[in-house]
Amino acid sequence: MGYTVNFTAVWGSFDKLMAGLALGLGLAIAAVLMGSVIGLAVGFASVSPIRWVRTTASLYVTVFRNLPILVIVLVAYFALPDLGISLDKYTSFILSLGIYAGAYLAEVFRAGLLSIPKGVVEAGRAIGLTRLQTNFYVIAPIMLRNALPALGSTMISLFKDTSIAAVIAIPELTFQARKINTETFRVVESWSVAAGLYVATCFLLAAGLRRLERQFPKF
Amino acid sequence: MSPLLEIKGLHKRFHGVEVLKGVDLSLNQREVVSIIGSSGSGKTTLLRCVNLLEEFEGGEIILDRESIGYRGTGSGRKRLPDRELSRQRAMTGMVFQGFHLFPHLTAAGNVMLGLRKVRRMERAEARALADTWLAKVGLGNRADHFPGQLSGGQQQRVAIARALAMNPKLVLLDEITSALDPELVQEVLQTVKALASEGATLLIVTHEMRFARDVSHRIVFMEQGRIAEEGPPAEIFGAPKNARLVEFLRSSRD
Amino acid sequence: MEPSSFLNELWMARSALGAGLICTIGVSAAAISGGTLLGLLLGVSLAEGPMPLRFVCRAYVDLLRGTPVLVLVLAAFYVPSTFGLNLDALSAGILALTLFCGAHVGEIVRGALQSIPPGQTEAGRSIGLTYPQILAYVLLPQAFRAILPTWINTGAELVKASSLLSIIGVGDVLLKVQEIIGRNFLSLDFYMLAGACYLAINFAIEQFGKAAERRLAPQ
Repeated sequence: MGYTVNFTAVWGSFDKLMAGLALGLGLAIAAVLMGSVIGLAVGFASVSPIRWVRTTASLYVTVFRNLPILVIVLVAYFALPDLGISLDKYTSFILSLGIYAGAYLAEVFRAGLLSIPKGVVEAGRAIGLTRLQTNFYVIAPIMLRNALPALGSTMISLFKDTSIAAVIAIPELTFQARKINTETFRVVESWSVAAGLYVATCFLLAAGLRRLERQFPKF
Repeated sequence: MSPLLEIKGLHKRFHGVEVLKGVDLSLNQREVVSIIGSSGSGKTTLLRCVNLLEEFEGGEIILDRESIGYRGTGSGRKRLPDRELSRQRAMTGMVFQGFHLFPHLTAAGNVMLGLRKVRRMERAEARALADTWLAKVGLGNRADHFPGQLSGGQQQRVAIARALAMNPKLVLLDEITSALDPELVQEVLQTVKALASEGATLLIVTHEMRFARDVSHRIVFMEQGRIAEEGPPAEIFGAPKNARLVEFLRSSRD
Repeated sequence: MEPSSFLNELWMARSALGAGLICTIGVSAAAISGGTLLGLLLGVSLAEGPMPLRFVCRAYVDLLRGTPVLVLVLAAFYVPSTFGLNLDALSAGILALTLFCGAHVGEIVRGALQSIPPGQTEAGRSIGLTYPQILAYVLLPQAFRAILPTWINTGAELVKASSLLSIIGVGDVLLKVQEIIGRNFLSLDFYMLAGACYLAINFAIEQFGKAAERRLAPQ
């Protein structure tokens, strides 16, 4: 075979890999937060009684769910400066991933909204709550509870997508692995460890999510 | 003294089908009126128009001398904005067939939501009032339970407390025992009887004939979107005049 | 950002873009075909196979699904050469996408098969069908209706993932667009064009999926 597996080079840089992993998680969390805000707004908009609001929401979702993240990232970082908007790497990536996440989460929240029994909403109106109050105190809490599993799995998905940050030289896990690869030529070791770290993290996130779902069962 | 509720010539269509064909009804303060009739007669729709969950095309509803739902009458009228409608809705209380408790709030939380957000009470005051009402419907020790932990009859009683804690001028009860297991029906009916004896103003839609007879000052029989006959329980059940009412009562007995 | 210069450049670049489109569509089609085949085998094994086989398949699926596509693409690019297997970028890319698609389709097929009531298999047995026959004539046809929408979704995801192949130098739409931008600096215009291409391809896939679902509906 001519290739002896030697992990020393990788273990030596393990701290950098872990730092990259942590960075990836941080980026994912930032993107989920941003995406949730967008997703809630767009989700509510998609069930609005006003037609143009619904159409705009639907358009946003269709466009950003069908665009590759890489394209969005490249546009945000390389093309926006043409319009005078110059962002640093991190901001532009979080913006890109956040807008992408927003489209997915909008669908999640929309499904959650549609699954709320009509009678409960009417009960809220019957005690005199305004439309806004009903949205805030009755609909949103129930919807967020029901949307929890989908929210969690979107988060895990987004964490994997943070690997694309490597393309614009953000030093997250994939970037570090590629660096070790090109510097030491330890291909098998570097990539298997990187993959292993991603898989392990996703596994832990999924287990945590299951735990959370048991605590807060759906209505 | 003018009636608390006056419904004048109420007309309503659903997708082109006329469901209410000119209903006139009035209700005095402290009066209990039960509406009976077969499915599709418009009873529930009538109730839902009174608490403005439904729009209506013709007629007027006057609650405590205020015309509700619309500005102006006749063809030029406009539906009031949401804020106004919400204020008017808070004047009536409604208990639904399906209870529709807020699943994410405890029993106390359910009762308190309207008190805090609509009546703008402080938390402590709202909690005290909620506890009082829950005790009144016999659920004082279940205040911190979630709807999922309560039986159907208990949930419906919480729903009654939720409606009454708002201190409405009038309470609408829409077939509140139809969705309950038979053995749970009585506890709810007893609760309503207690309320009636304390002078609450109630407009009830029900299939429970014996209950209607016991608790009401007046019975209204609806048929195909109109009031066909109206009168005190003794008359309606003992000496019905309208042919359809006679038939209805006979089939209900079976 | 004059429209005339954009259209000018677009016309001059038409063959490059055409080649890129063909590449993207070709790569996606190849990966979807290979991946679906692989996924069918995996799905059946996971749902019906003996324990050791199920274990291996489970490990494969979980590893593949927990790893970001970019890591798979980069690993497929760098690793095989150390084992004496010289894959060009295109083959490596298709390999990575096929393995990725296979894992996802495998999960879909498994889920669909396991949701069929066991009574169906029993009924098949009781009329004397062998297991492969039951699979072919009773189980998979029923599973198909459940599989279709999610499979179409995976197809769209794969088209988006194919954009990552530009990173290892495969001449897809995104790479061609980047080369064009390198010449004329019309970043925003051409990145948006790339985006539009992906939207168009995925729109076509979605329409295909809807048509397929309609044809199945009368059952």
